[in-house]
Amino acid sequence: MPEIRVTPLGAGQDVGRSCILVSIAGKNVMLDCGMHMGFNDDRRFPDFSYITQNGRLTDFLDCVIISHFHLDHCGALPYFSEMVGYDGPIYMTHPTQAICPILLEDYRKIAVDKKGEANFFTSQMIKDCMKKVVAVHLHQTVQVDDELEIKAYYAGHVLGAAMFQIKVGSESVVYTGDYNMTPDRHLGAAWIDKCRPNLLITESTYATTIRDSKRCRERDFLKKVHETVERGGKVLIPVFALGRAQELCILLETFWERMNLKVPIYFSTGLTEKANHYYKLFIPWTNQKIRKTFVQRNMFEFKHIKAFDRWGWGASAALTPHPVVFATPGMLHAGQSLQIFRKWAGNEKNMVIMPGYCVQGTVGHKILSGQRKLEMEGRQVLEVKMQVEYMSFSAHADAKGIMQLVGQAEPESVLLVHGEAKKMEFLKQKIEQELRVSCYMPANGETVTLPTSPSIPVGISLGLLKREMAQGLLPDAKKPRLLHGTLIMKDSNFRLVSSEQALKELGLAEHQLRFTCRVHLHDTRKEQETALRVYSHLKSILKDHCVQHLPDGSVTVESILIQAAAPSEDPGTKVLLVSWTYQDEELGSFLTSLLKKGRQLTQPPPLPSPSWTDLGLHFRTVGAVGEQTLQVPSLGTEALCHVPAQAAVSS
Amino acid sequence: MDPGDDWLVESLRLYQDFYAFDLSGATRVLEWIDDKGVFVAGYESLKKNEILHLKLPLRLSVKENKGLFPERDFKVRHGGFSDRSIFDLKHVPHTRLLVTSGLPGCYLQVWQVAEDSDVIKAASTIAVHEKEESLWPRVAVFSTMAPGVLHGARLRSLQVVDLESRKTTYTSDVSDSEELSSLQVLDADTFAFCCASGRLGLVDTRQKWAPLENRSPGPGSGGERWCAEVGSWGQGPGPSIASLGSDGRLCLLDPRDLCHPVSSVQCPVSVPSPDPELLRVTWAPGLKSCLAISGFDGTVQVYDATSWDGTRSQVEPLFTHRGHIFLDGNGMDPAPLVTTHTWHPCRPRTLLSATNDASLHVWDWVDLRAPH
Repeated sequence: MPEIRVTPLGAGQDVGRSCILVSIAGKNVMLDCGMHMGFNDDRRFPDFSYITQNGRLTDFLDCVIISHFHLDHCGALPYFSEMVGYDGPIYMTHPTQAICPILLEDYRKIAVDKKGEANFFTSQMIKDCMKKVVAVHLHQTVQVDDELEIKAYYAGHVLGAAMFQIKVGSESVVYTGDYNMTPDRHLGAAWIDKCRPNLLITESTYATTIRDSKRCRERDFLKKVHETVERGGKVLIPVFALGRAQELCILLETFWERMNLKVPIYFSTGLTEKANHYYKLFIPWTNQKIRKTFVQRNMFEFKHIKAFDRWGWGASAALTPHPVVFATPGMLHAGQSLQIFRKWAGNEKNMVIMPGYCVQGTVGHKILSGQRKLEMEGRQVLEVKMQVEYMSFSAHADAKGIMQLVGQAEPESVLLVHGEAKKMEFLKQKIEQELRVSCYMPANGETVTLPTSPSIPVGISLGLLKREMAQGLLPDAKKPRLLHGTLIMKDSNFRLVSSEQALKELGLAEHQLRFTCRVHLHDTRKEQETALRVYSHLKSILKDHCVQHLPDGSVTVESILIQAAAPSEDPGTKVLLVSWTYQDEELGSFLTSLLKKGRQLTQPPPLPSPSWTDLGLHFRTVGAVGEQTLQVPSLGTEALCHVPAQAAVSS
Repeated sequence: MDPGDDWLVESLRLYQDFYAFDLSGATRVLEWIDDKGVFVAGYESLKKNEILHLKLPLRLSVKENKGLFPERDFKVRHGGFSDRSIFDLKHVPHTRLLVTSGLPGCYLQVWQVAEDSDVIKAASTIAVHEKEESLWPRVAVFSTMAPGVLHGARLRSLQVVDLESRKTTYTSDVSDSEELSSLQVLDADTFAFCCASGRLGLVDTRQKWAPLENRSPGPGSGGERWCAEVGSWGQGPGPSIASLGSDGRLCLLDPRDLCHPVSSVQCPVSVPSPDPELLRVTWAPGLKSCLAISGFDGTVQVYDATSWDGTRSQVEPLFTHRGHIFLDGNGMDPAPLVTTHTWHPCRPRTLLSATNDASLHVWDWVDLRAPH
């Protein structure tokens, strides 16, 4: 039974550890390979033993697909490929391929250097893992092998994030990863065509939320910056080189004049160089506005945002007392942002705005947990008096967004991962009612099996089609017509042709199968008269059939031929030879029994249509080549079956 | 530039906090369940409507370290479907039951909010004897040991039904056909009613029908429609009843003398209201003598009635929420109309407001008079 099987791996209901196994038409694909950021032990990795208990993962999996560079989607990739063992292809978009290793290395440093973890992947492992990556473009159909193909769609959310369509023959699955249906200031909105997959797999983490508008989130950020600056404080915003930084810079630039900030905004040069480099590479991944800006040389040609470099920092900072600064790294675990943080932490007028999740072990994580006293190197204690603000700018689709995307793709079924079924029953009903699709919500480790009815395209020969059309009315959905033909399967090609053409192509001669039955009658008249009486008798009974008396004395009923003969031994007996083709079995055997019963003027009883086996027909070779005798025990007769010499007929 | 952007900058000064949401369907209902969640419900006539139990973002509930809570989203905690439009929804305190009213108005629907799942299911119905095509019964709930549902579309059909036994425990027993516009339970034995004409009454259910009322035609008798709300009941002297008319008149009354309003002012609103059934006046639970009104256009106006007496006739609002006009829609017609609003039970200056284009705002306004 053709089916699609989906198993979400990964535990915990909070976001993290995205890793989904899909089996489609015999192909096995792993979607994402995320790390759960909240755990320190093996619980942070997906349970790969689900995939296969024995046997190599490389043999079992046809490919791995990574949707975007967030660690909860790719964090376990080096562990999976280098420590568990997988050598097959890993597909991702170009930006993801460029950015993933940077984040993985950052994360590795924090885990090993900061937290002193032992069983962790090494830098070399990250490099080796990335060697297995095959980068793809948007809307490019990639053949993984003869049967499996994948295609990436724009997902918004972060630079390089994609939704993937996985197709084998006529069966397909779409995996959304994380996506956003409303455009950012620097990224567009997710988009997919009406690809009508059998199944759409999406995250349900935010499925039961109604999102606050982008404008209000931005307002919150602007207000915090504005208030801090007004009271004479400084604002530090630790960022990763890409994404959020652009978004917030564009936002501040847009409102700078209106808000009368009068303070310069600083952006460290290291950041601008890196960011420029990546944006140059991936300009098609950003939205219209960015592309227009990029016509100018520098992505960061802002009016009010200035670059500062490490050495000039002290000097320029002295000139302007209230700066707003963007600096890396994003989790305050090292480098420039940490340096600045240490300088500013002691003043309660200052503010640090954390725009994203911070990994355990980093200063960012600590202050977001409410810690106000931090132990730094050399056992120095830093008292954090500055205001700490945690803002969420990551764009995920909420309930409305999911409904929109499902409406675009038009899948047969929807599967939501990472949610508790009991807490999403209403959502399931809503999806099923409004969008008329089935909705599944497997728990982690639970396999959902979807039966599919794949359609196999069959080519029909023109000759056959013409013949059928010539027979009358065209078939329609309410009145299907039965078509007889021969199905020829060659390689992966299916054709429906007429029997004659099939025989011709196969180089076989056509066989006509006719059965002949002898019915003995007591009749002293001449055979011509017998034939005539048989004709009149049959004509009167078989009013619905075409009964004819031919000039040579034989009687035909449809295609059945009845001839009367007189055997030489007994003049009182006449033999009727009844002969029919296998297509007229029913009528043939009915006629035979009718004739056997002699002159009966009653209406023929309703006959159950005897099948070949009902009649107890089987073949037995009798006599010379050219003739096979068919024994028909129930009729007490022997039927002669004419078979051309070369045919081999088996019973 | 974008007027929305301009207003956003203005809003930095005007609001402490501001959230804007897009519901899947417009609501005329905002009913609190504790101080962390509200119910909303759709009122479309030709399709299935949703009833949602929304949990407010955590930021609005925590007292300390607000800055460490990044989530600004509503969480749909429970949801259900209704075939009818829902114009009124009341939660039965200390239970998991809801009572709704809508059109057609021949019955009230009782709902059960599931405990182990997120579904709101239709449980039973309460028959209404006055069967009218276009009138829907107003609803209020007595939250006593045995909860009772007060309902009626007209004065003559007012009754209290025990929710469990479904026995009628009180009826108005009058032949008066005046249409009701609001009902409000004040304590275990008292409720207030307001008729569309402006007639107000306070009823003690321990006696046969003998309400304290302002019999004479309401403060303005030109065919306007009225609604009313009783504020801090039983908390000392002073005007605690506010009555709002579709011509923009706002009257404050003392329950001891309903016939003579303490003050009667004209609010600067565009009249007549496009849909007088949407008029709403509410008392602020956390601010003395503060009121909010809505239903005339896309704004919610907040008034401080502290110094209102018989002499003042023209007043200016203390604050006007214009968010719905600037943020919602895309400047295309028609302009939004606020369908309902409510005050946060604990946060003194926080309100929720909803419009007919399915937007829902949560806003904490700044009292510009207060010293900085």
